Amino acid sequence: MPSFIEKNHFLLRRLHSLTGIVPIGVFLIAHLLTNSSIIWGGGALREGFDGAPFKDRGVAYFQEEVAWINTQVPHLLLIEVTLWVSLAFHAILGVYYARSGSANTDRYPYQGNWRYRVQRLSGYLGFLFIFYHVATLRWGWTFLIPGGTEWSFRYSASTLAAALHGSTTGLTTVGVVVSLFYFAGVSLLVFHFANGLWTAAITWGLTISKAAQRRWGYVCAGLGAALMLMAWMSLFGALAVKHDDARRIESQLHHKAAGLAPKAAEIADTN
Amino acid sequence: MSATASSSTHSRPVARPEAKPGRTVRFRVKRCDGPGKPVRWETFAVKPEPGANIISCLQQIAASPVTVDGQKTTPVAWDSGCLEEVCGACTMVINGKTRQSCSCLIDEYAPNEGDEITLEPMSKFPVVRDLWVDRARLFDALKRVKAWVPIDGTYSLGAGPRESAEKSESRYVMSTCMSCGCCLEACPQYQLEENPDKWPASFIGAHAMNQARLFNEHATGAVLKGARLDTLMGEGGVNDCGNAQNCVQVCPKHIPLTESIATIGRSVTIHAIAKWFRG
Ligand code: SF4
Ligand code: SF4
Ligand code: FES
Repeated sequence: MPSFIEKNHFLLRRLHSLTGIVPIGVFLIAHLLTNSSIIWGGGALREGFDGAPFKDRGVAYFQEEVAWINTQVPHLLLIEVTLWVSLAFHAILGVYYARSGSANTDRYPYQGNWRYRVQRLSGYLGFLFIFYHVATLRWGWTFLIPGGTEWSFRYSASTLAAALHGSTTGLTTVGVVVSLFYFAGVSLLVFHFANGLWTAAITWGLTISKAAQRRWGYVCAGLGAALMLMAWMSLFGALAVKHDDARRIESQLHHKAAGLAPKAAEIADTN
Repeated sequence: MSATASSSTHSRPVARPEAKPGRTVRFRVKRCDGPGKPVRWETFAVKPEPGANIISCLQQIAASPVTVDGQKTTPVAWDSGCLEEVCGACTMVINGKTRQSCSCLIDEYAPNEGDEITLEPMSKFPVVRDLWVDRARLFDALKRVKAWVPIDGTYSLGAGPRESAEKSESRYVMSTCMSCGCCLEACPQYQLEENPDKWPASFIGAHAMNQARLFNEHATGAVLKGARLDTLMGEGGVNDCGNAQNCVQVCPKHIPLTESIATIGRSVTIHAIAKWFRG
């Protein structure tokens, strides 16, 4: 292993930097944009929900987005595998690289030094979070979900709410723990991406002067703030959803898609 | 000096505290009799003269090496040369931060009766004795990046290319490096490595990248640019920098080290792509 890493040192280092942006960072942006639609989707009028409350319209928008991704996006498996390979590569190499450093923020408590330290910490914790997140909500490891609700793209909002709440009936204590883990996980990962984007520009030699590094810093901070907002919207939006309400909206959508009248949808849903 | 020397942790406060004359200052010193020997702490009381620096206080301690507990001990060893912050030999860790001891004024650091100053050797270099460390690896790094202008040969090379005033001006600040090691001491990516066989694969440090840039940007020195970039592309090179940017904060010469690192990063990117296509 070390000799392979030695021989391909430059290539591996730069691939490590690149994979953090493409595909992982690009996916992060798309993922958070979709998930936060559970809130902002309420403002994007969707046919059939014109009179419904803002919250319901958000759930409907989110469900339609998720269903679209899972049914209409071509080569979904290929995209997922690419993401997984990239993530595994970025994480394994990241840990290997991070081990070469020794934090000294106690003696040199400069802002840049703190970001250096948090970058490594967020890498470790972020990877744990991603693993839990994907294992439970994508691979269906329901034994890791309090309440055991399996996530399904056909019931994306309701099953997500149940997984976060820890039950289908409301927030439980374990649900609070899971939600806090999500809060920490997404926040750290957004930081990791924004800060990584800033340092990548130095690594590749795009930003050289102090002024250029500062300007690019503003761009990365702006992007980070926007992503952070989206991440929190996604989480709090899903937490605010009641499982049963979401289930009703999702069923309405299924029947709408199947060409059934909303009335019939409600009847069908009670079965 | 250059206008880039704007932010530094060492910039002196405009209004200095008034130092109390005749006060006693305590020096807590991390001591070690030699490589592999145990480490111990000893405290000394010194009455600094007006305008005293760390070195003059260490001289006072050497004149009568007795700890505050009345214990007679050996004089504290240190390294120094120029005594005007241009040789870098006297660098040590003072109150937890790396800097030159010759330019560290006691009146600023310990203006009051009973103030304490902590002295430690740099932690990223092997200790020779007490506060004196061996910076051989730092100089080895300069050799690895061929930090010189190649003009030796068997016949006269004639006049070199003309250098513009702007270019030499921009290089000036880079050339003020005194190889003190502060940038390495504060760097979270630079670790103590006593085995010279391991130096080539260990992180080379900000000072060497700055020197590589200095000579890459020199019209004659640029002849060796490819060789320098080959070294800095590999293990222990520019890619091992974690961008904590502590180096630029602690450099006593205000060298824009992070700009030098980014410049080397850019050169290496271009060098690697060119090599890949050229073979
Ligand atoms: S770059 Fe600065 S801190 Fe580093 S060795 Fe040179 S003078 Fe010292
Ligand atoms: S920017 Fe690089 S060289 Fe400078 S302190 Fe950070 S890791 Fe070390
Ligand atoms: S003795 Fe030369 S820098 Fe202090």
